[in-house]
Order: sequence, then structure tokens, then C-alpha cells
Amino acid sequence: MKNENKNGRFPRWLKTAVVILVIFLLYAYGLQVTRVNLEEPLEPQRQENLVSLIRSFARPDIFAYETETRRTAVSLRMPCPEEIKGSQVSIEGRQLLIVPNCVTTTQDPITITGSGFLPNAEILVAWTPIGSTSTRRVADLKASETGEVAVTFTMPDVRPSEEPQTLEVVEVIDRNIVGLSETTYEALDKIVETILMALMASTIGTLISIPLSFVAARNLMQNVKAPMASIMSGLILLPILGGGAYWLGQLLVGPLLSPEATMLPALQDSLTALGFVGNFIFVLIELFFLLLPLTLGLVGAVFANLVGSRLGEQATMRLPEGTLRILNFGTTVAGTAVLFILLAYAVVWLNVLGIREFVPESFWAQIGIYIWPGLVLGVAAALWALRAPAKYHYPIGLVVYNVTRTIFNAVRSIEPLMMGFVFVVWVGLGPFAGIMALTLHSMADLGKLFSEEVENIDEGPVEAITATGASQLQRIVYAVIPQVTPHYIAYIFYRWDINVRMSTIIGFVGGGGIGFVLQRNINQILYTRASVMVIAIAIVVIVLDNISARVRSRII
Amino acid sequence: MLKIKNLTKVYEDGTVALKDVSFEVPDGEFVAVIGLSGSGKSTLLRCINRLIEPTSGEIWWNGIELSGVSGEELRRARRQIGMIFQHFNLVNRSSVLTNVLSGRLGYVNPIASVLGRFPQEDIKRAHASLARVGIGDKAENRADELSGGQRQRVGIARALMQEPKMILADEPVASLDPALAHSIMRHLQQINKEDKITVLCSLHFLDLVQQYSTRAIALNQGKLVFDGTPKEINDEKFIEIYGREAERIG
Repeated sequence: MKNENKNGRFPRWLKTAVVILVIFLLYAYGLQVTRVNLEEPLEPQRQENLVSLIRSFARPDIFAYETETRRTAVSLRMPCPEEIKGSQVSIEGRQLLIVPNCVTTTQDPITITGSGFLPNAEILVAWTPIGSTSTRRVADLKASETGEVAVTFTMPDVRPSEEPQTLEVVEVIDRNIVGLSETTYEALDKIVETILMALMASTIGTLISIPLSFVAARNLMQNVKAPMASIMSGLILLPILGGGAYWLGQLLVGPLLSPEATMLPALQDSLTALGFVGNFIFVLIELFFLLLPLTLGLVGAVFANLVGSRLGEQATMRLPEGTLRILNFGTTVAGTAVLFILLAYAVVWLNVLGIREFVPESFWAQIGIYIWPGLVLGVAAALWALRAPAKYHYPIGLVVYNVTRTIFNAVRSIEPLMMGFVFVVWVGLGPFAGIMALTLHSMADLGKLFSEEVENIDEGPVEAITATGASQLQRIVYAVIPQVTPHYIAYIFYRWDINVRMSTIIGFVGGGGIGFVLQRNINQILYTRASVMVIAIAIVVIVLDNISARVRSRII
Repeated sequence: MLKIKNLTKVYEDGTVALKDVSFEVPDGEFVAVIGLSGSGKSTLLRCINRLIEPTSGEIWWNGIELSGVSGEELRRARRQIGMIFQHFNLVNRSSVLTNVLSGRLGYVNPIASVLGRFPQEDIKRAHASLARVGIGDKAENRADELSGGQRQRVGIARALMQEPKMILADEPVASLDPALAHSIMRHLQQINKEDKITVLCSLHFLDLVQQYSTRAIALNQGKLVFDGTPKEINDEKFIEIYGREAERIG
């Protein structure tokens, strides 16, 4: 009944008319906002420009040519003597008339006419200034179908001399491909750079995103629950073990990386003797030392979590209700305070609130300021937590899931172009900045795609493996990974393909790769060269697409 | 001895799957769990090894309160309870051997197992389990190359690897044709008799219940409506279990 009423008040045709009107207005406004202008593209000058651009792109500078030429020399005086006249030359059936046969300024026009050339031959007029060894091109022309030529031009420069100077009319009689042009060699060089950039970014991004993807999968995380004592013990131990391990790492590698240390430079000298492989080994070793404190810190943090949750789990299981409540209260106060201090330190460091200058520089002095509000907050949180039963298991997995997801989406939404810009500021121009930008973006993008793959798996095997008494890690290795592997591999190739295309754009902000030279060629209006770069990119993308299709069908 | 006391499960959407269910299973019995689809059979079996969290009630098994353990203790309990599924729940892309070996995950060194390494004796045991269910030659095949009946045998072999004291079988033959169903049921019966493993098996067909089980319990809309020997299911009981519209076919 209700429906009928509605239809009665608004007839169907009226609704349709309103929808059409709204769409019409939307497009009308859109046209104005986007400044669609149909006259400008129809202007003859613009059309001519477009055609010449398209023709340049259609004639890529792929090959190097060797041309066979016929030269006819005429003499030219600079400056003009008293009597101005023309002169005539006749060689092997070719006649040339130059009027006048002298110039005084760069404004004086010279006209060359002639006959007896090859029909439609490409011809240029070259001048070798007196006292110079290099030849300059002063005019281009084309012979008519009957082999006649006519051109008027001015000289680019005047070199006064007593002697007559020589203009050569060079006629191309044959053109042979002798190999690839320098542009092609540059394109090959840069496309290899681009492919390797994309490959490195894809693989490193994959390696980081695989473990994170399991953390960002709802179906794996929603059953991860922990009692309060576990969560809070983990938080309390986090800065102690994580920070301690980081400090230990600094202590270990500090002397190695200091400017006075001789071990690394000596190693570099001996390894660079091995060429690029040696350099690779050196970079790996250097990277290992540079990342050691951070890695140790991360391991310490993970360990803190394991130990904390284990202790909390045991305590929750063994302790009587009253004692457990006291333990929960105490750990919640301390854990919340630690979390607050860490967050406050990060917020101040980033200067989000603009209060950095009012806070003491030293780390410990800052902590001293944060500790009291942290404890107050901790007590509040602990009182709040008292409402739940002492053995209540909180869905901590969902918290971790949501945080990881949010980070993935935030990082993914930043275009690699922007990241390239930031990394160029940090590590300077070149492919290294490009690799870092692409790696970061690949990591977030693959992390999200991977985690969605994990969420789509068949839950049956997971259930079966869980029933055998397997741990979460064993469940992932035995029930999840076999199911997602083919999809992961497909995504890695897909990402490689995306990274090749993106690295061309990243080159525009100085991130290296073929985009860098492509942009240079476009800026210098060298479209025939830019065309080669575009073709190289297209070939690589097509080939990668084919390979990935094949690999996918092979694996699945 | 398995003791279920006042077990209730209410799902988050408000569905009451189990309502105040209580029963006991002495060691070595072959108990058939019967009832209509949606009567709570699967929920009951999954509450026992805590694949599903019960809302209230207690589950006691050999002196452990299964409904009260978590973490390590829960895993230690689970590894002694094998489970067989209607849809086999094998990892299709892994080999049969790997699927069977995964039954040992609760026992082996966690780090070695994550790297894919199992003790030699476990590998021998896996081959023996496969031979016992009659597919000793399929160890190297991928699980999805097997037929339905063969896959369920892999499921049984995997459960056997756990050296279980109890096996929960959730409609193990519902996806198989009648001939295969009998062969799978015979394997379960043999395991029950020879290894003295308690079996809790949900079934649809009463003839299978009569033929293989030593006892039957029935659920109707989450409530326990029958607990006795299969022979005791007369027409009156049948209507109580399956409702008035059902017709006795088995």
C-alpha cells in the first residue's frame, strides 16, 4: 500500500525526468568547471602542432644511419666586395646558381637555385667557417620531383676573410641503417635500470608485506584475544626490551660506523675490486650494520610481547581472582603510562602540536614531564578496566588488525610520486630514491591485497589444523600459506608491472629510471627520442604481462 | 570419560544452537549424534575441542575442564582429540603426506615444523597411517588429485597421527556415496575397536547409526531429545527427533 501511494504522488515519468534533468545539469556544470573548449583544438596552428608532434612520435629515433652523399661546393665571400654578383657552378650535370655570392651581415638573404639533382632528394646546405674544422648546417631543403632545388636563407654568423669561403650543397643519395641510435642505447640502459628498480622495489616490498599481511587479515586476528595482564605486561616490557636491544645494537655497531673506524672502508676497497658483485656484497654488509640496532630493537619488541603475554597468560590462569585483580590494576596503570609516554614523545617529536620548542631537548627530561599525566591516565584506565571480569580476554587481535589496516590504507593513498619527492630530498636524485618510494608504496599496496587474499581463503583447512593443537604460527604456515601462495605470486608480478609503469613517472621528480630521460627529451622537444623511450616502456609492460599470465597459469 | 554439563551456545546473531545440553560418554564408546540439519550437531562437536567458544556450561574430559583452558593447555588438550570433517578440510595444494603430517603439529618442535621439518619417526608413522586406511601409494600426490573417498581417508590418517584418545567426526560421510560411506564408517569402527578410541560421530542416516554406533544421542533445535542405544529409536522417538513431517527412510 505504501508503495502505491508513493507511486501515486510521484509518477514514474516524473522521477525519470528529474533524474535526467539532474544528470544534464551535472554535465553542464562539469563542462564549465573542467573548461572544455572545442574551438581551441580546432585552430589550424594547434592542429599543425599536434600533427607534427604525432609525426615525431611516429618516427622514433631507433636506428643510426650512414648516409651516402654527393657534394657540390660554391664559394661565398664575407664581407661583400664592392661589386655584388652571383656565381654559377656546374658539376656532373648538376647546375647551381647562388645569388648573391657574398654576405656582409646575418640579415642578408642568399638564394640558391639549381637543377639536375635526384628527384625528392634530401639536401642540406653546410658551411665550414674559415679556420674551423666543424661544419654547420645553414639550410635544409628537398629537391622537387624533377630534381630542381630552390632555397633562400641567411647565414647564422659572419666570419670576415680575404679568402672566399665554401658552402656545400650536400645531397643524400642513399641511406643505410648501420646500427642502433644513441637514443636506443640510452633507452636500453635506462629500461634495464627501470626494470631492476621495479624488481627490487617489488621484492623488498613483498618480503616486508607478507608477514604484515597476516596481521592485517581479519579472519586470523579476530580470534586473537588476551587477558589484561598479558596486554599490559607486553606494553611494559616493550620499551625495556625493545629499547634495550636497540641500545645494545648501537653499542655494537657504533665503533664500526664511526668516521675513525677503518674496517668498513678497508672492506669496501677490497670488495670493490670484484666489480658490481663486490659492491653488492659490501652494500649488504653495510646495510646489515646500519639496520642492526633497528632489527635488534624490533626483535626485542616482539620478544617483549611474547614474554609479556606468556607471563600474563600464566598469571591469569594460576592466580586467585583477588590477586589477579590487583595484578591487572597494577599492570594497567604502568602499561597505559608507558603507552602514553611513547605516544607523547612521538607527537612532540613530529611537532604536531607545535610545542616542540617548549619541551626540554633531553629524552629523559621529557619522560619526566610525561610520567605524571601518564600515571593519572593509567589509573583512570585501570579503574575503567575493573568493570570487566578479571579473566576477560580482550580482542587485542582486532586492535592490531585495525591499526595495521589503517596504516596500509594511509600509505597506499599517498601517490608514489609524492613519496619519490620526499625520498629525493632525503637520499638525493637518482634511482635509489625511486626504489625507496616504490618499495614503500608496494609494501602498503601488497600488504592490503595480500591480507584480502588471506581473508578469502577456505576456512576449512584452518579449522582442521587448529583442531590438531597447532599454534597460530603453525596454522599460518600449514593452512594459510599453501592457499595464498599462487595469489601472492600473481600479485608480485602484477606489482612489478605497476612499478615499471610508476617508475617512469617517478623519474619525472628525479627518481631515476627511464622516466628521467623521457622527461628530459620531452622538455627539449626531442619527440623522436621520447618516442623510443615510450616504445621501450610499452614493450617491457607487454612482456611482463605475458610472463605473469604464464607464471600464474603454471602455478595455480 | 567425556562429561558435558549444561552446555549452551548462543551465536552473536541470537541463534540458540545448543540449549542446556548434558550427557556423558564413557571411554571407548562409538556415539552417533543425530538430528536435523541446524539442530546443533556441528556446534556440539566443535564446542568440545573449542573450535567454537561455548556461551556457558562445562566440558570435562579426563579430569581437564576443556571449557576453562586456554593457550598452551588448550593446544595440549586439542592434540589428543582428532577431528574429521564433512568436507575433509585438507590443504588441497599440499601433498597428502604433508596433510597427514600436519596431524603432528601439536607435538613437534614448533620452529622445526614451521620450517617444514618433521622427525623421521613421524614420517614413518604418516606412511603407516596412510597404509592403514588403504592409500599408502598416494603419499606424494597433491591432496586435490584424490577422489572424495580417498580424501576422507587422508582426513582419518591425519586424525590418527594425533594419537588421539577421542575422535570427533562431523558428518564424515555426508559428501560421499553410500558405498564409500560404509567403507569410511568401517575404518572409524575399526579405529574405535582396535585402538579403543572414543568416537563421537554426527550422522544423517539411521541405518548407519544402527550399524556402527554403540549409542546415539539426538538433538532437536539445540536440545538433547534422546540418549540411548540405537535400537531404542522407535517411531515415537523418531518423530520426537526429526519432527512430524519427516518420513523414516533408513
